[in-house]
Amino acid sequence: MGKKKRGHPDVEELLARPWCYYCERDFEDLKLLISHQKAKHFKCERCGKRLNTAGAHPFPASYHLTTIANAISIGLSVHMNQVHKENLTSVENALANRQGLDIEIFGMEGVPEDIIQQHNQRIIQNFYTAQAERQAATGNPPRGLSGGQGPTKKIKIETPEEIKKRLAEHRAKVAAQKEAIANGTPLPVAAPANGPSPSQVASPFPPPQPGFPYPAGAPAYPPVAYPPGAAPGAFGSLPARPPSGGPIPSALPQRPSYPYPGGVAPPGFPGVSPVDESAANAGRGPGGDDIDQLIRMAEAGIKPAKNGDEQAAPTTEKKKKGMRMVYDDTDVSPEEKMALLPRYRWVEEAAAA
Amino acid sequence: MAPSTQFELSQPPTDAISSLVFSPDSSHRLLVSSWDKHVYLYQLADDQASLLNKYEHRAPVLDVCFGATNNEAYTAGMDRQVKKIDLTSGEQTVLSKHSEPVRCVVYSPAHNLLVSASWDNTLHVHKLSEPGSEPLVIPLPGKPHALSSSPTKLVVAMTARLVHIYDLPTLASATSPPAPWQTRESSLKFLTRAVACMPNDAGYATSSIEGRVAVEWFEDTPESQARKYAFKCHRQAAPEEEGGGDIVYPVNALTFHPVYGTFASGGGDGTVALWDAEAKRRMRQYQKFPEAVASLGFSGDGKYLAIGVCPGFETGMEDYTGQGRTRVFVRELGETEAKGKGAK
Repeated sequence: MGKKKRGHPDVEELLARPWCYYCERDFEDLKLLISHQKAKHFKCERCGKRLNTAGAHPFPASYHLTTIANAISIGLSVHMNQVHKENLTSVENALANRQGLDIEIFGMEGVPEDIIQQHNQRIIQNFYTAQAERQAATGNPPRGLSGGQGPTKKIKIETPEEIKKRLAEHRAKVAAQKEAIANGTPLPVAAPANGPSPSQVASPFPPPQPGFPYPAGAPAYPPVAYPPGAAPGAFGSLPARPPSGGPIPSALPQRPSYPYPGGVAPPGFPGVSPVDESAANAGRGPGGDDIDQLIRMAEAGIKPAKNGDEQAAPTTEKKKKGMRMVYDDTDVSPEEKMALLPRYRWVEEAAAA
Repeated sequence: MAPSTQFELSQPPTDAISSLVFSPDSSHRLLVSSWDKHVYLYQLADDQASLLNKYEHRAPVLDVCFGATNNEAYTAGMDRQVKKIDLTSGEQTVLSKHSEPVRCVVYSPAHNLLVSASWDNTLHVHKLSEPGSEPLVIPLPGKPHALSSSPTKLVVAMTARLVHIYDLPTLASATSPPAPWQTRESSLKFLTRAVACMPNDAGYATSSIEGRVAVEWFEDTPESQARKYAFKCHRQAAPEEEGGGDIVYPVNALTFHPVYGTFASGGGDGTVALWDAEAKRRMRQYQKFPEAVASLGFSGDGKYLAIGVCPGFETGMEDYTGQGRTRVFVRELGETEAKGKGAK
């Protein structure tokens, strides 16, 4: 049965998701979190520049080494101060009690211990609430637990009509199965691979979903307990913190290969090397909604179409020697040459004749 | 954002495209001139275009433009004639004769002028308000290769990197050949390939055979002139086994978006890029087309971009033909697809 695996991740998966200190949103991976923070919380409202952090505090000793190594950058507060001569007072789009600039956040780094615990608590609680609701709604036992041991289950009240309908469906299914067995043909049903056991057939529950094997006799899953304070999930594999603030050497405007007549200043040759990566970001500056869209797409596993801008291939930095012009006559245009070809030539006399 | 779609015309010209142009109003009529001696008229409707008519000429047609209405067209012929075509009846009227093939025609709606540029080193300025009158002949210092007009200016790009800018009101009232409003040298080192004026009358862009585009402003003040710039584009890295470096393609087509003032460039590499002239940024580059891009045109309302594609003429070609490899694509642009972010 081609049914999708149900989208209910277990509690560990939920706890392992990186999340944003400022708005408590969680993300598929750290990269998405960081780009979310840059777009939503560390974006300069004056010029759209996306900074990496909110302030410019010295990094606490608890920071991951690579974080510090890559963090030769300034935060939004310093940027506002230096560039726009304004004081940043709070982090944008943050929850009311998380707007402060006193905490330096980058991805998951810098989130205070007690906030992490609060968050985990919330996630666990939400998880069990949601699970309980699902069970109440579906009548399915919780994953990994046999029927009776689950959390208190709401009794589903069915109307006589519903019960009759369900009974009829169930009877039809059993009859079909019996018939199939009698005919010796395999049934294209949702039964688990090991075949329907009598208990299942007679079960008052609907057949279990594939991927959620019916847990009769399965060992009871130990209740999930997290050691307090241990941030779940490994954040050791931090994506390199992107440098910002200054122009990137490799993205400097390229020197023209010859002096330009008329003193034309070469701009950033787009497509070859943008003037400066950070400025390019500012120019492209996907609005918050765009980045949100991107993040959502990434979470859904959809690869966004690569923007041509972003694949500035640094090819022309290579030696000039190999430059080859497809058309290199500097005096005669291609049209003039085409006009001379027998195929296109126009002879006035011939027409007159 | 509305999804952008692209479709191909089912009855393209049978040989290379010299020019394509949308009607300046929003009727989505498209004219395509071809080396196959025909001008084609298409009507766009709902993701497809139908061929309304085609108009035979004696020789390859090098340029085409709409006139005062979407029923009127002018063509530049290799047979040295400038012709007016009534698109409904198909009636063709010869406006003037040059002594060499006519390369370009441009119509200025504001001044009701038709200007043709020919390899005989002249411009013919036709006052359409006085039908039958002799055109004003303006001698040029070089062969013209590209012509474009803004509401008040006419830019002629010639050989030897010459650029003349004429003032259209002056041309409209002149009885003897006026001096150019400005004469300039191209900002690009190589032969000029295309020129396009900004719809807001502020300046123009030129492109050369050497994968480069320059943007300049009309205003002749040091500040304005300091704003001009040029950049490389339409190049490809050559494979290492061929010695690396770049393959540099000519930039065959330039056209400004009528609403947003951004512009598109099309090159011999078969790509089309959208540029934001103000912010000096590339906004988009579209997927490679199967052949070189010969001509580009935005529709009058800016909702469509037509792309004429045929083999590019390259150095050393003896037996060039665009037969069977000439195609016309129309791209329906998303709401903000061609909208620039503006200068920072």
